[in-house]
This record gives sequence, structure tokens and C-alpha cells, in this order.
Amino acid sequence: MIAKFFLGVGLLVLMVVVSFGTFFYLGGRHSKIALAPQKPTAATPRAQAFSLPGTLYLAQNGALYSFSVGRFHQITAEEGWTQPSLFPDGQYLLAVKRSYLFSDVYVLTRFGAVHRQLTNNTAYGRYADISDRHWSFYPRLNPSESTVFMSYDAPKYGYDVNLSVWGVPYGAAMSQGRLWTISKDYTGGDVQALPLNGGGIIYTKYSYGLDGNLTGQLWFSKNPENPRIPGTALTDPDKDCSQPSLSPDGHLLAFICTNKKQFADMYIASWNGSTLGRLYNIVGNQVVAQPTFAPDGSGIAYLAPGAAGQFQLWFLPKNAYDAPAPSPTPVLTPTPGGPYSGTLPSPTTAGPTAAPVIKPIQITTGNGFDATSPMTWSN
Amino acid sequence: MAGSLAYFLPAAKLAWDATGQVVTVPSPGPSPSPTLDTSPSPSAAAQVPGAFTVLLLGSDDDSKFSADHVLTQSMILVRVIPSTHSVTMLSIPRDLYVPFWTGGSGKIDGAYSYGQAGGAIATVQRDFGVHIDYYIWIGLLGLVKLIDAIGGVDVVTSNPVMDDFYPNDIFSQYPYDYSRVAVLPGPQHLDGLHAMQYVRSRHGDLQSDIGRSKRQQQVLLAIRLKAKQVSSADVPAIANALGGEIKTSIPLDRIVELIPLAATFENPDAINSIVMEPPLFHGGGPGGSLTPNWPAILALVRQYFP
Repeated sequence: MIAKFFLGVGLLVLMVVVSFGTFFYLGGRHSKIALAPQKPTAATPRAQAFSLPGTLYLAQNGALYSFSVGRFHQITAEEGWTQPSLFPDGQYLLAVKRSYLFSDVYVLTRFGAVHRQLTNNTAYGRYADISDRHWSFYPRLNPSESTVFMSYDAPKYGYDVNLSVWGVPYGAAMSQGRLWTISKDYTGGDVQALPLNGGGIIYTKYSYGLDGNLTGQLWFSKNPENPRIPGTALTDPDKDCSQPSLSPDGHLLAFICTNKKQFADMYIASWNGSTLGRLYNIVGNQVVAQPTFAPDGSGIAYLAPGAAGQFQLWFLPKNAYDAPAPSPTPVLTPTPGGPYSGTLPSPTTAGPTAAPVIKPIQITTGNGFDATSPMTWSN
Repeated sequence: MAGSLAYFLPAAKLAWDATGQVVTVPSPGPSPSPTLDTSPSPSAAAQVPGAFTVLLLGSDDDSKFSADHVLTQSMILVRVIPSTHSVTMLSIPRDLYVPFWTGGSGKIDGAYSYGQAGGAIATVQRDFGVHIDYYIWIGLLGLVKLIDAIGGVDVVTSNPVMDDFYPNDIFSQYPYDYSRVAVLPGPQHLDGLHAMQYVRSRHGDLQSDIGRSKRQQQVLLAIRLKAKQVSSADVPAIANALGGEIKTSIPLDRIVELIPLAATFENPDAINSIVMEPPLFHGGGPGGSLTPNWPAILALVRQYFP
């Protein structure tokens, strides 16, 4: 009788232990699919694992981060900050602070402190309509630091709300700004202007293709557009290209093209100040965003999903695209994996024979960078 | 065993509540036009072993509508052929003016309010001459919760989606209120709320509902891609998040078969996304509806759906 009692108690205890054990074991088997990305400062990359030259600024979850000497530093709180852009002299940053119904452009120090507010896009007053507010995105100063170019949602016509590129004298009100591009109706408009040394801008214009689908095209405007003097299309609408970035010497343009698929390949092409050369696909089979040239010309940083999704920081060394390109250039496919722990391949002078294939390097793994936010990179 | 049962309790509850919904499909009424034959006919799509057709229904189920009288803002026919690992998605414009199974006509988004899923299925089966095996219905909040539960989706958004008159009816106490939306273009990771804004906004799109349908298919494919990373241990958390926001007639045992199957659809070229556009219909119908060009629509449907 006593033996049966102890056996019963034993089985009961075993049942409880196994039940809880099973519950917690299964709980521990969760995939990381719904986990929030880690803060860049928290874990990856491991200290000194990979060093890029200079300081790279990028955004995650409404905060701006700097990345230098293999380490991330959070320079703003998570308050809607995105789209940092360095002043040409490198002393300050332009950045967008995005709120629920509007966004504004600010000047920040390189350590993230607000220096001044450049736009005021909210609407005041008891009877202010929701559409009296505005969005400002993709701010960039021209090389002489006299004009801030940005995408701004004016003019608006009822439901037809499009971004257009505006040039605003630095420090002046939007009312003194000048409309630089004429966006196409009901497309969302023109974005991400890149002011050029010789004057003018390269930007992305969205329009309806012959098949009725919306596509992006790189455009060049030497001067503010008007209906009689439009800008010049640089890429074919079927390639659906966007997010241009200019090399430090100004002779090479990197950008992404989707070819109307749910991928985004990275392309480069030569740039002579008014026309684009032949396009070379240098990273394929990946969803590439925001290519950004290193200030010393050693390569291109970009954002793309890692193995578990979410956008990570990648780097494509110059060797990968600087060799004399056979026609067509072999498309590099990235090698997924953890943070790179080796040494950065040094640029070599490529001979006429085929250069060794240099693959893109994945720098972070557990982060989730804002892929709609261009990166900016200083010496 | 008890631990497993406790762990999977939310999934079991969701399965009990949401799956295997009994749907009574009413008998067909008169066909849209006496001259059109909408009965299923042999075609390239017909009679493939293991193939099945699902009607995806997406509704505005906010507080503007009573629970049993919601409209289906999104109707997508999905044909799955496991043997060839191919999928065809056909979006039906919500404003298409069609005969209802109950008699009378109206915009097809109203079919759901005459018999819920059964009413929508009966109308689509009769008007388009297809056989529907299953349906899945999801509300707006369900879509947000589903995408958040799988950790968001990676999407290459087609253009800046700008809308100053976006309905602010999900998280607001004033369901007729407006909000402003700006979904920026290009590759990005979208959480549930922003994915919903991307697929739901239409005021800034020249193609209005057609453009929106294209974006809906994009996000559906992104959800499918992300779902491949889900393990069985994630199911309870997802079920917990979704509770009550999704309904389907797919039996539980069939879902268990289909989850691993979804991961085998790797080839993007085997996924066919079709959005009905003119000349399959033209505007100017009653109440701002779209008038169907039935011969052209039925010819298209018969290519892909038995």
C-alpha cells in the first residue's frame, strides 16, 4: 500500500516535471522570426571584427548610429530620426525627424545634438486641416553648402500628393525654396536628390510605364525643370532604378535596379557630368538598398537582408567592381554568414586577365537597419 | 504530453475557432448573361491531381461596419498546383459590378455581406465559372497582427505611397477620421501597420484599386517567403496574436499538410500574379462600379482556373 502511494507520488512528480519541462523546452525552440532586431551597439559586429575607413552614419528604429573603427555608437534617441546626410565639409549632419503626420529637417552635430531646425512642417491653429502638414525627406546640401535639396510634398492637389525635389537656401524658410522637379501625377513623385559638383542634381523619378506599372528612373536636371525644359532620363523605365550614390571622384554612379522584380541588384555606371555610361550589374540575387561609396574609394557599403531577414550592413570591396569589366561583368552573389572576422582585402591593380572574384562582406547579423534611409560616410 | 498540450493550447484554440469553418455555398442563381457559359470547362488548368483553389478575402472590419456586414476590399483567387510547384493569383476588382447569388447585382465587395464567406464563394463560383475548394478571410487588424507575428516582411515597394486621406479607422476612436501616410520607395522591412498602409492606400494611385491589388499581391508573396522561416514552435505565439482575426474553411489536417508544401514553392517564375485591368472591364457602371467584359474575363479565368 505504502509502495503504491510512493509510486503514485513519484509518477505525479514525474508528470509535473515532464509537463513543465516540455512546456519550457518548446518555448525555447521558438525561431527568432519575430524577435526585434538588436541595437547595433549591443552585440554586432564584435569589437574590431571589421573596420571600415572613416565614420559611417545610418539609422535603425528611429535612432541614428555612427560606425567607426569597428564599433557602433548611438548618437540620437529613438525619436523618429532617419536619413542622415553629412555637410560637404563634414562638420554637421542633416537628418529627418519623422513624426506621425509630418517630418522635418534638422541640423545635428556629428554627435547627434540638435543644432537647428530647418523646416517646420506641422500645422498650427484650431482649424488646421490634416493636409496642411507636409513631409520633408532625403535632405542633402549642395557642395557649396548654400542650398538644401529635399523631397517635399508640394504642390498638392486634393488626393494627388507627390513629393517633388525642392532647393531651399540654407537656413531659409520653405517659402523661399525653389521647385526643382516636376513630378508626375499620382506617382508619389521624385525622391533622393543628389546635388552635383558642377551644379544640377541626379534624382529618382517615378512614372507609369507602358504596362501601367510604376517604375523608378534616374534623372538628371542641370537646372530647375519647367514644362518646356524637362530633365533628362538616365536609365530605362523597365530597369526600375533608384537610390543613386556618386563615387568620391565623381566619375562613377552606384544605384539599384529591380528589373521589375522583388529583388534589387546593385549596378554601377560611369558618369561624365551629363550622361551615364554602360550599366554593370555588380551584386545580384539580393535585395540591395542604399549603396554608398566609401570616402577613400575602397568600396561600397550597402544594406541587404541577412539570412534571417531584416536589413544588415554589407561591404563590397573595390576589387569586386574595379577590374576591367569583361562584358557582361559577372554578377557577384553574396555569401551569407556571420560578421566578417578577417582582414579587408586590399585594392589591387587589376591586370587584363580576369581578377579573382571578391564577394560582398556581411558586416552585421542581428540588426535591422532602416533601408529607406540613405547612409552617409565621412573620412 | 501535458506540457505539449498546454504549450499548443493557443494554436489548438485558434484551430478550433478559425479552421474548418462550415460554409454553406448557396445554389447558383441565374447566370450573369444568358449568352455566357460560366460553367467550369476543361482547360489547361483543369483536372490537375492535387491542385486546389482558395478564395482569399480581406475585409475592412473596423467599427464602421457590423461584424456580419463587412465588405471584402480584397478578393484574390489562388490556384495552387503542388505537382508543378506553381501558384496563380488573380485579383478581382472590388468594384466589379456582378450578379449576386441572391439575385440582384452590385459591386462584388458586397457579396460577403449576403451570406458571409458562403455568399462570396457562391457569387464568385457562379459569375466566374470556377470551383473554389477553400476560403481564407482576414480582417485589417488580422493582417497587421499576422505580419507582426512573423516579424514583419521584406518588400521592394514600387513607389512612394503618399496619402493625405488614409482612413484612420483601426486604432482610432473616430472611425471616419483620416490620417497621413508616406510609405517610402524601395527595399525595406515593413511591420504590420506599415504593410497595411502600403496595401490599403489608394488615393495617391492613378490606378486606384488596381494599383492597390498589385501591392496586395506583393505583400502576400512576402508573407509566403517569411512564413518559410516559421517553425512549429512559433505556431502558438502566432495563434495567440491572431485570435479571432482569421477564418478559413481549410481543415486542420489539410493545413498541417500545406505548411511544409509552401516551403517548396521556390521558383519565383512559377508564381503568376494577375491583376484584372481594362479592357477586362470599364468604368461608368452604376454607383461608380466597373462594368465587366465577361467574355474577356471568362477567357482569362479559364486559362488558369478550372
